[in-house]
Amino acid sequence: MTTALGLLAYAAILGVAAPVLLTREQWPERAPRLAVVLWLASSASVLLSVVLTGLIVALPNPAVARSVAALMRACVLAVSTSPTAPSSSFLPILGLVLAIAVLARVGYGFLVQMAVAARCRHRHVRALDLVARQVPGLGALLLDNAARAAYCLPGRAQRVVLTTGALAALSPRELAAVLAHERAHLAGRHHLILAGAQALARAFPIVPLFTALPREIARLVEMLADDAAGRAGERLMVAHALVTLADAAPPPPMALAAGGADTPARVRRLLTPQVPLGAVRSAAGLTLALVVLAAPVVLAVAPLLAGGDYCPLWISSALVTANS
Amino acid sequence: MRGFGDLEAAIMDRLWTADGPRSVRTVQEELSPSRQLAYTTVMTVMDNLHRKGWLLREMSGRAYLYRPVRSRQVYSADLMSEALTASGDPQATFLAFLRRLTVSEAEQLRSALSDAGPAPPQRSGKRRADPQA
Repeated sequence: MTTALGLLAYAAILGVAAPVLLTREQWPERAPRLAVVLWLASSASVLLSVVLTGLIVALPNPAVARSVAALMRACVLAVSTSPTAPSSSFLPILGLVLAIAVLARVGYGFLVQMAVAARCRHRHVRALDLVARQVPGLGALLLDNAARAAYCLPGRAQRVVLTTGALAALSPRELAAVLAHERAHLAGRHHLILAGAQALARAFPIVPLFTALPREIARLVEMLADDAAGRAGERLMVAHALVTLADAAPPPPMALAAGGADTPARVRRLLTPQVPLGAVRSAAGLTLALVVLAAPVVLAVAPLLAGGDYCPLWISSALVTANS
Repeated sequence: MRGFGDLEAAIMDRLWTADGPRSVRTVQEELSPSRQLAYTTVMTVMDNLHRKGWLLREMSGRAYLYRPVRSRQVYSADLMSEALTASGDPQATFLAFLRRLTVSEAEQLRSALSDAGPAPPQRSGKRRADPQA
């Protein structure tokens, strides 16, 4: 029982502290991939803790007795010290329900989201294949439109799309930067990470870590794709491309809030030379991620490994009920 | 139906560049320099496009005349708009290079870049709005 409470406390603390710790630092700009790993590891850890709590309550005290005799001694002791049947199967069932419910809520939400997005993309791609032009050697589809836009379709479709307005406006190096950025999104399967973050936030909005996740992951993923343009000179081209496309980008429709609020920050990051984090700090960060992931498992398994003879709850309650 | 994708695109391209409705026969003839196509194939595909809502048709004599429901520009604008609008979506249906900006956000962007210094040379002589102007 103390293990279960310990796990829940750990989950609660991590769920509240992690977003604070991760958002107030500046280093994520220098190592966005490591930042994503830490965000995801923390989220997985919180989820794992709650699921393990449920499992521990559902399956308490698997017998680790060293012999049948020791098991019998432990059970006789357990029955004699608490002659009334414990509040039987109520708690274990609750534990099992908790574990299954948590996983199902997140898993189902994620799958539904993916299905909706896939359907939408499929429709879009069918139209693109008729409407857009293929340009040999460009590596992107071309839409006849004076407005400047560039986007990609992740998932099965894997298309990069430019408007003719964008193609005309971008210099060759800016164009290469844009294409590299979009291809990085596709190759990195960033849409999966983003969808996963959203599924967590939707499933358990009570956890501050989860509610912060979609926004932060989106920012970091853009940084990752920006960095994919290559060396410092080419990252500057990403900044130029952003400005070029901003010049005659289509304005947002009235009803929607513009989504570009963090774009100036993105440009500023591209214009300042980024000093990499260094091997030591990167290794430390990775180690932290592994520790965070392993902690719930260790907490859950430790009492078992500490040894001692337990009488499984189902045996002792069966014995007590049989006696009475 | 997979194999017809290219043909569908070619037929739509013909009809968008044509200056009026076209019959199946005309489209087949116009496509035939580059492809060997049976009349029935072209007819089937154009009928499919009509069923899927891409083409209108009217009877003229004994044959149908087909034309696109909307211009290519309109479809292009719709597609681009859909992609940009959905780009903020949490399920990442599309990922735009630059999400839509208001006028003031675009201004901030421009000043962030010009604060950093002059643009590098080697531009290919295209016209661009001067950020200082």
